[in-house]
Amino acid sequence: MRYSATLLDHFLHPRHAGLMREPDGVGSEEFEGCGDLARIFLRVRDGRADEVRFQAYGCGPTIAAASVTSERATGRRVEDLVNVKAEEIEAALDGLPEDRRHAATVAAGALRAAALDALDRRGGAR
Amino acid sequence: MSRRIYLDHNASTPVHPEVLAEMLPYFGERFGNPSSIHGFGREARAAVDAARDRIARFLGVRADEIVFTSGGTESDNFAIKGLAQARGGGHLITSRVEHHAVIRTCQWLESQGFAVTFLDVDEHGMVDPDDVKRAIRGDTIGISIMHANSEVGTIQPVAAIGAIARDHGVPFHVDAVQTFGKIPLDVQALGIDLLSFSGHKIYGPKGIAGLWIRKGTKLVAVQHGGEHERRRRAGTENVPGIVGLGKAVEVRAQEMAGEAVRLVALRDRLWDGIRARVPEVRLNGHSTARLPGTANICYRHVESESIVLGLDLKGIAVSAGSACTSGSIEPSYVLVAMGVPVDWAMGAVRHSLGRTTTAEDVDEVVEGVVPLVEKLRAARPAGVA
Ligand SMILES: Cc1ncc(COP(=O)(O)O)c(C=O)c1O
Repeated sequence: MRYSATLLDHFLHPRHAGLMREPDGVGSEEFEGCGDLARIFLRVRDGRADEVRFQAYGCGPTIAAASVTSERATGRRVEDLVNVKAEEIEAALDGLPEDRRHAATVAAGALRAAALDALDRRGGAR
Repeated sequence: MSRRIYLDHNASTPVHPEVLAEMLPYFGERFGNPSSIHGFGREARAAVDAARDRIARFLGVRADEIVFTSGGTESDNFAIKGLAQARGGGHLITSRVEHHAVIRTCQWLESQGFAVTFLDVDEHGMVDPDDVKRAIRGDTIGISIMHANSEVGTIQPVAAIGAIARDHGVPFHVDAVQTFGKIPLDVQALGIDLLSFSGHKIYGPKGIAGLWIRKGTKLVAVQHGGEHERRRRAGTENVPGIVGLGKAVEVRAQEMAGEAVRLVALRDRLWDGIRARVPEVRLNGHSTARLPGTANICYRHVESESIVLGLDLKGIAVSAGSACTSGSIEPSYVLVAMGVPVDWAMGAVRHSLGRTTTAEDVDEVVEGVVPLVEKLRAARPAGVA
């Protein structure tokens, strides 16, 4: 199998999948090459991501990356989430094949966009 | 994983036990080189000749018109480059839905100064014989149209194209890798001059195939060396492979007709099961002129690789588009040529059934697909793809 056990587990049992109504921040990122897309929703309390949900369209790795991203983002400071890199997501999935790296890029990009949106909405923070 | 279900027979098939049994001695005590004049060599030569005879009888052609090759890919290369190089220049006609072995060979010939017309297909993936007729020029040196497409299974109107080729005196090559040994194929009635066929799609071994070359068709060898295969294809024969291909053909001759009927029923059962329970699906390819075991289905708003992966984790093997192109993230060029919209084409999954597929397998696949597609669609952002 070209995918890690962690990746397959997240693909088979996505954490926090689905829409969030009235989020405090939402962001998407699309990979032009194949149309893969992730969207992350944040509910913020006391400056931290209290609840994170995701939606994703794409190959198995993209769905798994969005899932692991939602898991890792939960509980962290929103300012901190702005800096989450694709490498962190890839590592959390125990690696990605070369031709599926975009999965981590898309998920990290969506998280960054959602965090920036939350900061914008809070206003004045940046 | 307890039970595994294999619905990817257009990619490859398991070697039939009788085929394997017939091959084994040729790895062992009958290892001789057919070109050797001693007893070991004569034994191997006899086996190669017997296999060639079997295949010739099956095709209704002369044994000395068959050349063994290393695969369908080589047969296609040999046929097309062989025709082109025999004439030194000119124009070729093919279609946009051919296997890469044909398309890329033609593209390479274009880079070498040949002209190539890539014909469009209709929404079923079918070439219009009138388009072939219109494309023929004074300098047309060959026509190459596949018998059936590996991705969607559409069977081309080769008889009509063959008649046109004959009228115009243009050699006609048919890539029959997906139909040889699966559906009836009469090269004489169809007006074919060159026919590619391969072992591993019909329960024979991989790495063995053939090209039938109608006597009188001018073809230049692409592989040079010894005097093998009447100087048309140099290289010591793959004796176990050839023996296996011969046996596979013999088994197919017995099983083919009954199996085709059975597979049509199973493939329709699969499609009926899926479309009854999954919204926004479509069946690609021709409704009737289609390979018995092939059902290419688009699941809209789902990416095909995620379905392939999800089913794989349930022990079910299907493929996203063609096996050769599944590593790339482009929608299938065959579906694009058929005008399938991209948001559908991205979700195309090919199910190809075979001799061991049962109704229980089909039902289990339906049971696996329904919740998987539901789950994947539920995770999808609204208004996307
Ligand atoms: C229509 C067609 N032509 C050619 C080939 C190549 O055959 P082989 O794998 O024997 O090289 C295939 C196999 O996928 C095929 O489906």
